[in-house]
Amino acid sequence: MSFDAQPIVFSEALIAWLVTAGGLLLLILGVSFLSALSQGNSGLKMFSSEAGGVLSDLISLSPRRIWALSKLTFIEAYRRKALAVFVVFALLFMFAGWFMGGGDGDITNDQVKVYVSFVLRAISWLTLPMALVLSSFGIPEDIRVRSLHTVVTKPARRLEIVIGRVLGFALIGTLVLSVMSVVGWIWIVREIPAKAQEMLVCRVPVKGDLTFIDRNGVPAEKGINTGDIVDFRSYIEGATKARAIWTFSGVGENSLDAEGNLNLENQFFAFRSYKGDMNHQLLYDFQFRNPEKKISFTTNPMEMGEFRGVRNKISRKLERPGDEKTYDLIKDFVTSKGTLTVEVSCIDREQYLGMARPDLFIRLPDRSFAAGYFKAVLGIELMMILVILISVCSSTFLKGPIAALLTFVLLILGGEDSHKFMDQLVTGRSKENIEVLDQQVKQLEAAYVEAMKMPDGDQKEAVVQAAKKQLQINRNKLQTIKDGFKGGGFFESIYRIYTHMNDTTELPEGNPAMTIMVKVDDRLTGFLWLCKQIIPRLATFNNMSEYVANGFDVPWDSALLPCVLITLGYLLPCILLGYFALRVRELESK
Amino acid sequence: MSQSGQSSESVIEIRNLGKVYRDFWGRPKVKAVNALSLDVRKGEVFGLLGPNGSGKTTTLKLLLGLLFPSEGEIKILGKSAADVAKNERIGYLPEESYLYRFLNAYETLDFYGRLFDMPASVRKERSEKLLDQVKLAPQARHRQLKEYSKGMTRRIGVAQALINDPDLVMLDEPTSGLDPLGNRDMKDLILDLKKQGKTVLMCSHLLADVQDVCDRIAILYGGELKVMGRVDELLKAQDETQILSSKLTPEAIKEVEAVLKKHGANVLKVDQPTANLEDLFLKTVQESRDRPGHRTVKEGAKS
Repeated sequence: MSFDAQPIVFSEALIAWLVTAGGLLLLILGVSFLSALSQGNSGLKMFSSEAGGVLSDLISLSPRRIWALSKLTFIEAYRRKALAVFVVFALLFMFAGWFMGGGDGDITNDQVKVYVSFVLRAISWLTLPMALVLSSFGIPEDIRVRSLHTVVTKPARRLEIVIGRVLGFALIGTLVLSVMSVVGWIWIVREIPAKAQEMLVCRVPVKGDLTFIDRNGVPAEKGINTGDIVDFRSYIEGATKARAIWTFSGVGENSLDAEGNLNLENQFFAFRSYKGDMNHQLLYDFQFRNPEKKISFTTNPMEMGEFRGVRNKISRKLERPGDEKTYDLIKDFVTSKGTLTVEVSCIDREQYLGMARPDLFIRLPDRSFAAGYFKAVLGIELMMILVILISVCSSTFLKGPIAALLTFVLLILGGEDSHKFMDQLVTGRSKENIEVLDQQVKQLEAAYVEAMKMPDGDQKEAVVQAAKKQLQINRNKLQTIKDGFKGGGFFESIYRIYTHMNDTTELPEGNPAMTIMVKVDDRLTGFLWLCKQIIPRLATFNNMSEYVANGFDVPWDSALLPCVLITLGYLLPCILLGYFALRVRELESK
Repeated sequence: MSQSGQSSESVIEIRNLGKVYRDFWGRPKVKAVNALSLDVRKGEVFGLLGPNGSGKTTTLKLLLGLLFPSEGEIKILGKSAADVAKNERIGYLPEESYLYRFLNAYETLDFYGRLFDMPASVRKERSEKLLDQVKLAPQARHRQLKEYSKGMTRRIGVAQALINDPDLVMLDEPTSGLDPLGNRDMKDLILDLKKQGKTVLMCSHLLADVQDVCDRIAILYGGELKVMGRVDELLKAQDETQILSSKLTPEAIKEVEAVLKKHGANVLKVDQPTANLEDLFLKTVQESRDRPGHRTVKEGAKS
C-alpha cells in the first residue's frame, strides 16, 4: 500500500471535535435566530421559549415513538421500491466476471485486488447514493404533502422525528448493505479459482517505527532521495554503513507462527545506478540488535522481490553455519519493553534500496478473508450512516433536491485532495510564520540527530521518538504553510486576479490597503478552519477497502476507530441541528 | 353546565391573535388573522365559518402549533399552543387527509397509536373499534391508503384523529369530499362526540353541515371575527313567527289567517313544508338497501 495510516490520537481528536461542535452549535443558534428573526417580534419570542423547551423535549424522548417513526421510514422506503437497487447490483454481478479475467487458475495478486476492490466499490457506489436520495427527500416530502402535520399534532417531539428518520434510513441501508455484502463475498470466493484461494487472506501486520543511518554511520531522519517528487520512500546505499532501522513494539511469543518462526514481510523498492546482474534481484540482510544486551545477529543475504512482497520466515533459533553461537530471537533480541530492532542493509555496491515505514512488518498469523472484508463493509456502513445524518439534518431546513445537492457536495469535498487544499487555505499565510517555522524545523532536525547519537539505553528511545514526532509536526505545518502561501487569502487572491499579479510577486509594501487586506484574510482563516472541520474526511472510510483489497486486515486504531469516531462525532451535532431547524420552522409556511 | 351540555370552562382561549405571512425578506405579505379573540367551551361543538381565505384554517393551524402567531396568545387545554404535551388530549383531522399513502388502515392507526405511546394491545383494540365506528369496509382495511377513495381516506382520517380518545377534536372541513351518506355519518359522529362530552372545533364553509351540528359559531372574514354566538339564536328571525301543524283544509287555512289578521299579524306565506334533498336521498338509499331489486320511479323523474 502506498499510504501509511497512523493510529488516531484520541485526545487530539476529542479537542478538535469539541472546538468544531462548539462552532456548529453557534451555527445552529445562528440559523435558528435568523429563522426566528424573519418572523418578527413574535418569532424572537418564540425563539426564546422554544430554546427553553429543548430540555423538556430531551427528557420526554420516547423509544416507542422513535421506533414508530423508524418503522414508518423503513416501510416507506421499502414500498417505494428502494430495494430496486438490488436489480442494478445483480446486473453488475451477472456480467462483471466477463470483463475481469481469471477463471482458468492463472490469477495474480493484482487481479484478486481488482475483484475485491470492484465488489466493495460497487457496494458503496450503490448504497451511498440510495441512502443520500432517500434521506434527503424524506422529511421535505413529508412537509410538502403535509403528512408531517398529522405527526407533529400528536405528542411526537421534533427531536424524535429526526432520530426516527435517521434510524429508519439506517435500517433500510443496513438491510441493503448486508444483502449486498454477503452476495459480494460469495461472488468473490466463487470467482477466484481454487488454486488462488490462498490469496484471499487478511494479513495482520505489526508495523514499527523507521529511522535511518546514513552512509557514514550517522543517524538520519530520512534516507537518500533518488529523485522522486514524492518522498514517501527514501533509499539506503548498498555496501555502506547506511541502514534502515525498524523498531517494533509489543513483540513476544504470540508474534511467532505455529512453527515458531517470525514472519517478516517486506516490499522494498530498488533504484539501480547500473544495470548489475540481470539474473538476480538486489540483496539485503536483516540485523537483529538488542541495545540492552548489546548483541546483534545478521541473517544471510536475501533477494528482494521487486514489485512484489517477500515473506521471510525467520526461525526463532538464530544460527549461522560455522558459528557455534546461537540466539533465541525472542529471549535474546526482544528488549524488556517488548521492542525488537531490525536493521536492514543493502548489500550490492552502488545500488539503492527504497523503503518507507509500511514496507517492512511482522506478519502475525493471518485472519480469514471474511474478517477483513466485513470490517470494510462496516466502514461503508459507517459512511452511509454519516451520509444519512448529513442528509436528514440538511433536509430539515432545505428542500429535498437542495439537501441532496448539499450532501453530495460535502461528499466530494470530503476527499483527501480537497482536505489537503483546505488545509493549505486555512493554515495562514504570514511570511513571518514561515521564517519562524523554518528556524524551528532546523533546530528540531539537529535535536533529533543528537538524540540518535545518544548511548543505547532506556532514555534514548523515548527522546528519539519525542524529537521525531515534534519534527514531523513542524515539518508538516511548514510544508502546508509554504503550499498555502502562494496567492494569499480570499481578498488577496481577488486582488491578484484583478491586477494580473502572479503568486510569486510580493505585494506592494507600505500600502495601508494592502496591510488591511492581508489582516482581514488572516482573520478569515478562522472561519475557513471551521468550514473545513465541518466537512467530513471521507478518505478515512475509503482506506478500509484499500486494506482488504491489498490483503491486509483492517486495523482498529488507524482505520476502524477513526471511522467510528468520525461518525459518532457527526451524530450529535447533526441530530441537534436537525432538531433545532425543525423546531423553529413553520411547517405550513411555504 | 348549561342546558345544551357544555360548561362555561374554556378549552380554547384565543386573545388578540394575529398572523402575518411574510415574504423571503421578512416584509409583511398578507395579514391572515387579525385581532381574533374567542373562547371554545368544554363540551360544545364550535364552528369556524368563513369564505375561502378568511383565516379559519390559519387559525386552526395556529392552535395546533403548525404556524407561529405574529401576535396574541393561545391557550389550549390550559397549555400554550407551542407545548407538545397538549397534543396528548387533542385529535386533529386535516382539511385533506394527509396520511401516509403506503400504509394500510391497520398500519396507519398502529403508527399513530404508537405516537401516543399506547401499548400494542390497546392500539389493536382501539383500531378495530374505530374502524368499525367510521364504517370502513373490512375488505378495505388491508389495502394501502393510496388505493382508497376520498370518502374512505376521510374515514381513516377521522379514525386517526380519534385514536387517543381525545378531549378536544379539531376538524378541518370534516365533510368535504364525502357523499351524502358519509356526510350524515360524519355529522352523527360529531354529535356522538358531543354526547361523550368531548369538545369539537370544526372549520367549514358548508353552512348546512355547520347548522346541523354546531352549538356556537364564529364567522370570519378577512381574518377578522365578524359574528359569534349560538346558532339557534343567530338564525332566529326576531320579527317572524312560524306555526307548524298537520295538513289543513283550505277553509281551515282561511280561518287561521283570519285569526292571525285579527291579532295584527301579516301572513307572509302559507305553504306545505318540503323535505330537504339530503333527507330524500337518504330515504331512497335506505329503501334500496331494505328492498333490493325494487325500483321506485317517481313522477318527476320521468323526463
